[in-house]
Amino acid sequence: MLNVVVVGYGMVGSRFVDDLLARTDAQVTVLGAEPYEAYNRVLLSDVVAGRSDIGSLTLPAPTSDRARVLRGVEAVAIERRTRTVLDSSGGRHRYDALVLATGARARVPEIDGLGPELPAGVHALRTLDDAREILAAASNVPRTVVVGGGVLGVEAAQGLAARGLDVTVVHGGPGLMDRQLDAAAAGVLTGTLRRSGVRSRTGCRPAGVLLADGRVTGVRLDGADVLAAELVVLAAGAVPETGLAARAGLETGHGVVVGAELATSRDPRIFAIGDCAQPPEGAHGLVAEGWDHARRVAEHLAALTEDAPARTTRLPGAWGRPSLALRVGATLATREVSAPGVRGTDVVTVKGMAAVTMGVCGAGREPNPAHRTVVLSDPGAGRHVEVVVEGTTLVGATCLGDARVAADLTAAYTRRTPVPADPAYLLLAPVAPQTASASSPAQMPADAVVCRCNTVTKGQITDCCEAGAGTLEDVARQTRATTGCGGCTEAVCGILEWAAATQPSATDLTAGTRRP
Amino acid sequence: MSPTPTPVQTHCPYCALQCGMSLTAARPAVPGGVPVVVGGREFPTNRGGLCQKGWTSAGVLAAPDRLTTPLLRGADGELRTASWDEALSVVARGLARIAVESGPEAVAVFGGGGLTNEKAYTLGKFARTVLRTPNIDYNGRFCMASAAAGMNRAFGVDRGLPFPLTDLGGAQAVLLLGSNLAETMPPSVRHLAGARAAGGLVVVDPRRSTTAQLADGGQGVHLAPVPGTDLVVLLGLLHVVLAEGLADTEYLETRTTGAEAVRRSVAAWWPERAAAVCGVPADDLRRTARLLAAASGRHGGAGAYILTGRGVEQSTQGTATVTAAINLALALGLPGRPGSGFGAVTGQGNGQGGREHGQKADQLPGYRMITDPSARAHVAAVWGVEEETIPGPGLPAVALLDALGRDGGPRALLVHGSNVVVSAPNADRVVERLRALDLLVVCDVVPSETARMADVVLPVTQWAEEEGTMTSLEGRVIRRRRAVDAPGEVRSELWVWAELARRLGSGVELATDPEQVFDELARASAGGPADYSGLSHGRLDAAESRGDGLYWPCPDGEGAPHPGTPRMFLDGFPTPDGRARMTAVDHGGPSDDVREDAPTYLVTGRVLQHYQTGAQTHRVPELEDAQPEPFVEVHPLLALRVGLEDGETVRLTTSRGTALARARWTTDIRPDTVFMPFHWAGEGSANRLTTDAVDPTSKMPEFKVCAVRLEPAVPTSPVDAETSAALTANGAR
Repeated sequence: MLNVVVVGYGMVGSRFVDDLLARTDAQVTVLGAEPYEAYNRVLLSDVVAGRSDIGSLTLPAPTSDRARVLRGVEAVAIERRTRTVLDSSGGRHRYDALVLATGARARVPEIDGLGPELPAGVHALRTLDDAREILAAASNVPRTVVVGGGVLGVEAAQGLAARGLDVTVVHGGPGLMDRQLDAAAAGVLTGTLRRSGVRSRTGCRPAGVLLADGRVTGVRLDGADVLAAELVVLAAGAVPETGLAARAGLETGHGVVVGAELATSRDPRIFAIGDCAQPPEGAHGLVAEGWDHARRVAEHLAALTEDAPARTTRLPGAWGRPSLALRVGATLATREVSAPGVRGTDVVTVKGMAAVTMGVCGAGREPNPAHRTVVLSDPGAGRHVEVVVEGTTLVGATCLGDARVAADLTAAYTRRTPVPADPAYLLLAPVAPQTASASSPAQMPADAVVCRCNTVTKGQITDCCEAGAGTLEDVARQTRATTGCGGCTEAVCGILEWAAATQPSATDLTAGTRRP
Repeated sequence: MSPTPTPVQTHCPYCALQCGMSLTAARPAVPGGVPVVVGGREFPTNRGGLCQKGWTSAGVLAAPDRLTTPLLRGADGELRTASWDEALSVVARGLARIAVESGPEAVAVFGGGGLTNEKAYTLGKFARTVLRTPNIDYNGRFCMASAAAGMNRAFGVDRGLPFPLTDLGGAQAVLLLGSNLAETMPPSVRHLAGARAAGGLVVVDPRRSTTAQLADGGQGVHLAPVPGTDLVVLLGLLHVVLAEGLADTEYLETRTTGAEAVRRSVAAWWPERAAAVCGVPADDLRRTARLLAAASGRHGGAGAYILTGRGVEQSTQGTATVTAAINLALALGLPGRPGSGFGAVTGQGNGQGGREHGQKADQLPGYRMITDPSARAHVAAVWGVEEETIPGPGLPAVALLDALGRDGGPRALLVHGSNVVVSAPNADRVVERLRALDLLVVCDVVPSETARMADVVLPVTQWAEEEGTMTSLEGRVIRRRRAVDAPGEVRSELWVWAELARRLGSGVELATDPEQVFDELARASAGGPADYSGLSHGRLDAAESRGDGLYWPCPDGEGAPHPGTPRMFLDGFPTPDGRARMTAVDHGGPSDDVREDAPTYLVTGRVLQHYQTGAQTHRVPELEDAQPEPFVEVHPLLALRVGLEDGETVRLTTSRGTALARARWTTDIRPDTVFMPFHWAGEGSANRLTTDAVDPTSKMPEFKVCAVRLEPAVPTSPVDAETSAALTANGAR
């Protein structure tokens, strides 16, 4: 039996445990530094915004007796030689495979007044405790500065403004969310935020926080402006937690360096997934990526143990160099499961803002002659839609201010469904309620079906009137119109009135008209 | 045919709404014409209304190619007329020989959800006692199995609507998932008027269907998810209900179990993530969740209902989707509260009764499980057989059809009330399996596509030629009555089975009088979840004369007759602890998802004028005129991409097969999706395209979504710029 130790019990670690238990008979030990059960970190900004109850964030706990979750226990060292993890309470955990899902911590910008211990009134937004503290602070309706205008900063700013707070976002880049948005799109976002009460200061960095009695009173910008603030929310990015890996002699860069199968470069028994990992394809810090990592490693481990009658004896010895058959098997297993369903883990959604980006987007992209880009720019209405098409595939999009289009673009991007012959059609919603079809009987073609339940056309009803029918009952008896769901009763009455008023020329008007 | 002189009060031959109608002898009688005139009748479900199928249903009695004598396949391979004696001898000899050679399980039986309760019951008894085969299943496996599995697990019982349909009228909100009832059972739309007036009709459908259009103009909301992702819509809605504190926590605490696990399971389905998978904007999910919550009693609303249909159930995650819908209903405190509830909209005429009395592979009468020792003992006593002679569970429909003629699989098949050549998924495979049989016997009214493949065809009675009972979508047991004599040598299946039992030398008694059969069925169902023991034809006749029926459970007991149970769960759920069970489910996606060589979703469904495979409706001229040929609904953006003009014939190709149909341009469908109705056989048969992958729990096939490639049947140059420009001018929106 495979012994797997997981370090980190966040969104990705807990998902990995579920995925692994579902696919293998492995024994799993999880070390989680936070005292809480796994919770949905993505929703912390919703909690701050008052959109989500804090109790609704708790993620499923493993129900299998093959899983052991140790909460409030930190991994302090990895002994690779003995394949053992040492924990903060003195426990030792042997592993056949070790999965690091240590996540990332909030980056604290290097500015005056901020050290490792944040002063009162300054909070990151990374943990449940952070969200609780911000919620408590927000109840005093403080003036608020959000440091960082990335996705999290924009969400937090919008959410706090929606609670009635006076909010300013300070962002060092040229425009908000500049990893995802180009200048035009960022301009639209800034306008939308402004309408919801958020001021944006872009292109300037906070130089220091002003304190009085150890409590924040304002933020000094590098241009010497001072923004008064009783609450400062740090949303200046995240730093992967790589300390444990580095101390164990694993290769680390921005994160823990891993290969295509998410195994660390120096130890194939150790994997890194989620925010702490630095995979060859890069990472955006999105949970969808972390969940994709979790699934891939679970499938990889499942493939290694699958159909191996002597697996308990053979595997540990053969670990470093699985047979070609096993490697091929693993690759195939991964392909088979990942081929159908939703792909594209780099869709960025700003909650509460109807703003979505995916794939090729933003100012920083490389020019690519194979890309065709179409833009709908409607800043006055807070709308900006850009699609990037390569061949018949949507390879990137930016959509602000049109949730319907954003949803369609996401579906097309993740499923790689072919785009319309003219990609400009992607800029508008293709299915929308039509304006009511000809409501006046005079404009209705003779072969328009009035009663769907009984396939009765306007022509049949007017014929009926010409033949002497004068009441709804007459028409119902002769044509059965109105006798199904009854929904056409009003329309039939309208035709009766019109026919009575226009006879005898009632049918001439519409003779020969074609079905729309 | 000699119609009876006074009007006969009966019900429509088609769907599970079972509209009340009266049949009056046609005067003067025209040879070859319809023998009766159909009139609407005051009945709670249809209030005198009928759709075009109902009004023209007498036409089925006058079908020009009605089967009137048995047919036998001769040495020349052609079907020829035969006497009953000759035909039944061939059948009995064949069945006996195959059973001796390969064991009783080599004879299989396939039933239908249109059979009366009496026939469904007798068919199950015939299979288990005379043939002693475990291999009996029916086409309800294609319709109701996922709803049944979900409701049984959650509520401990499966009655499609555990409340009268008319209760919907008082609701402030109705959520319809994968149900196009404006097209499939039009008179039922009357009961949505209240919710529409309150702006509370929510329709979830990838198409802007006739039903979705009922939500136009502020009467409700239409959510159009990507096919195969309805489950995500539900997970997202439940997430919002819990995250925004809209749940009925007292109800969850006192009337359910498993709420905490479900709460956690949807923590990862926040609206934006759900939107990214299902294509429904996050704020639409939020608004819908709030609308439903506001309508619930917990928040002072007038009531809310959540209803599922085949659109979400005919899926490899159908049971999970029904379960998610039930979880949402439970979180809002709807089931078992007057004026609120959860239900599944049954489709076939006797889709409810047909799943209760033992033609299902795993089931005995009264909705008992065939693996339950006490159920076996009870039913064995009623049947007068030894308990151990009753076989165990057999193969469910898709597996059964796939096993035909294979090593160890059935060699003979009896088909009743089903046209599997057209109705089963992956239809080309079904034809191949039927050809591999040694003996195919089909009982039918007309030469259906399946009958035409048979070795023996037996002509049987239909609808207005027979007596019996049906159980409507709301669990209301109603009377079907005879209005005309059957033509020619047509016989009831009840007689056919009794004759076969006699010829096979069985000592088991099979009654042929429907009233007598019903009394036996009632005894067999006593004490089961679907308890009919307090019912009889006499009691039901009395109810019909009041314009009503009686709802099961209706047990027999001391004192005054049991009044039946219109509303279930008011005092508790029939589970061991009396609480509804919530079960966490997750989304996996369709089994046959879009890919490069099949980049479009195919969804299948029905049109108003036709019913099922059209064995009946294609023979009614008014219906055939209104809807004469197979078609495919295509969004103009998709049509332009593949070079397909409006009205042009399109070739559809999936991993299973190809079909041809006329393209109909419409902006009422997602551009990544096409819709094709399944009422036609031959090259326009939708089920040549559908997948036979099944739900792991219910074994129901995934009719409703697969990946398809479209191209013009006759290759043409791409649609020219002029057409494209015209489209732009008209507005593709």
